[in-house]
Parts: sequence; C-alpha cells; structure tokens
Amino acid sequence: MSNLTHEESIKKVWKVCYILAFVTIFEIAAALLHYYQMPESPKWWLNILFVVLSAAKAYYIMSEFMHLKYELRTMTLTIITPFLFLVWGIIAFLWEGGYWLSLRQLWQ
Amino acid sequence: METTVQTNAKELWSGGDSPFKVSYGKIMMWYFLISDTFSFAGLLISYGAIRLSQPAHNPEIANSWPDPNEVFAAVPFVHGHYPLVFVTFMTFTLILSSVTMVRAVQEGHNMNRSGVLFWLSLTILGGLTFVGSQAFEWSHLIHEGMTLKGNPFGAAGFGQLFFLITGFHGFHVSIGVLLNSWAFLMTFFGAFHRRGHYEMIEKLGLYWHFVDLVWVFVFLAFYLL
Repeated sequence: MSNLTHEESIKKVWKVCYILAFVTIFEIAAALLHYYQMPESPKWWLNILFVVLSAAKAYYIMSEFMHLKYELRTMTLTIITPFLFLVWGIIAFLWEGGYWLSLRQLWQ
Repeated sequence: METTVQTNAKELWSGGDSPFKVSYGKIMMWYFLISDTFSFAGLLISYGAIRLSQPAHNPEIANSWPDPNEVFAAVPFVHGHYPLVFVTFMTFTLILSSVTMVRAVQEGHNMNRSGVLFWLSLTILGGLTFVGSQAFEWSHLIHEGMTLKGNPFGAAGFGQLFFLITGFHGFHVSIGVLLNSWAFLMTFFGAFHRRGHYEMIEKLGLYWHFVDLVWVFVFLAFYLL
C-alpha cells in the first residue's frame, strides 16, 4: 500500500495520464513527420525510439495504474521475472523470421 | 526479538497470512494476467517473425509488408487521407478509461459509492467507444479488401495478423466492459458496500489496465513500426 493521501494519489494519476498522452502524441508526430517529410530516410532509428517509448509507457501503466510500485518487492519480482523468457522468445523468433526470408529468396 | 521475527516469518509462509500482503483474489488476478501476457506475447512474436519473413515495405514488390500510414488512414464521417489520426483517438480513449478506472478504485478505498458509480460508468463508456471504433476500423478495412484471404496493401499476413491480434485484444476489451458493467450493477445495489470493501473494483482495475498495457504493444507493432 502506498503512503500517499487520497488527494496526492489523485494528483499522481492525472500526472501519469499526461505523461502517457504526451508520449503517445510524440510517437504519432514522429511517425507522421517521417512519413511526410523524409520517407526516403531509414526508419530503424525511429523504430528504436518507438520501442523505448512504448516500454516507458508500459512501465508507467504497470507501476502506477496497476500499483506494482507500491506492492512488496518480492511480489513485484515474481511478476516481472517470468517476462525474461520473452527476451529469449523475441530474439530467437525474429532471428528465425529473417532466416525464413533468406530461404524464400534463395528458392525463388 | 530475533526469534519472534523468525517465528512470524515461518507463519507467513505456512498459510497463516499472505506473504505478499495482497489478498488471494488480487494475486490470482496477477497470475492470470502473467499467463495472458504470454498469450499476447506469443501472438506478437509470431507477428514479428512473419513480418521479417516477408520483404520490407517497397511499393514495387506486391507482397511486401504494408506501410501503416497507407493502411490506417480513414476517419469516420470524413473523406480524405488522414494517417494514424483515428487510432490516436482510440489510444486516448483507452488511456482515459484507464485513468477513470483508477479513480473508481480510489473512490472505492474511500467507500464512496456514488464516486465509484460515476467513474466506473465513464470507464464502461470508454471501453464501448473503443470497441465501437474498432468495429468501424475493421469494417472499413474489410470494405477496402483487406480480409483473411488477401490484402490490397501488400502481404496477406499483415491483414491476417491484424484481425487475429486486434480481434483477441478487442475480445479482452469486450469482456472487460461486461465485467465492469456487472461491477456497476453490484455497486449500484450496494453489494460491495455491505461486504465492507470494494476489492472487486481493484481486481477488475488490474484487468482493465492490462488491456491498456497490451494495446501499447499492439499499437507499437501495427501502427508505429
């Protein structure tokens, strides 16, 4: 449980809301800027930015909205650690996807 | 002093009390959400693998991966090409409904029944708006020819994965709206008040925020990357 008073936690919720809204607007603006102003330039650096910003949004939703920041540390760890498997899953399957493409091109 | 601490610690883990200082229902909701995370992660990782197995976006290659700015450019009642405008609206609806859900939980802590009813009704409204927007988006894309069989914008896999993943997400939102409506009625008839706590609102809140959390990544995969 948090030590915040009722009023403080209401304030906090709206603050997180503004952060999420601002980050979303920023993402959309960056995507549209790339689409209209520099469609020829590579997009990989923008994609890295999108992934980082989405992770930040996920952090705010989990820690504040889902209250995970104020739970016991042991509980937070039991919830967070299983997601480490996903790191392997993402790397392995994206790697595999690229390999499928090269096979496809090889046999075409 | 030290022995007391040890005894207490033992009791905590012997079923005497919750070791995480969280009720049974809340921790079980969390564990359900972990398993659901893996369902969604499986779908999104398949999306990534299938996407990388297709040629990257290139207008000259017929089955290359489509550009989201070309696919998602329709706004209801407005003619013209407005990329990502409508999905921004949908994202904001979901973020705001998450905020109203937190407010409902907070009013529940204060045992303020009318406050819970007010904020919960806004949350239900936000959920319905989101599902309705998704229905518009789906019917528009189907009308344009993006179905499970083919995709005029490029790789067929894009449309198939889009309907599969946003469909699974929309199904979660719909279930959330139903559960929240049930909680609204329970609150209205004073069931939680008589129980002495509004913990059910907290559990549904966890589920609802999870739906918002998943949308962050669906939005990332389909609309931004």
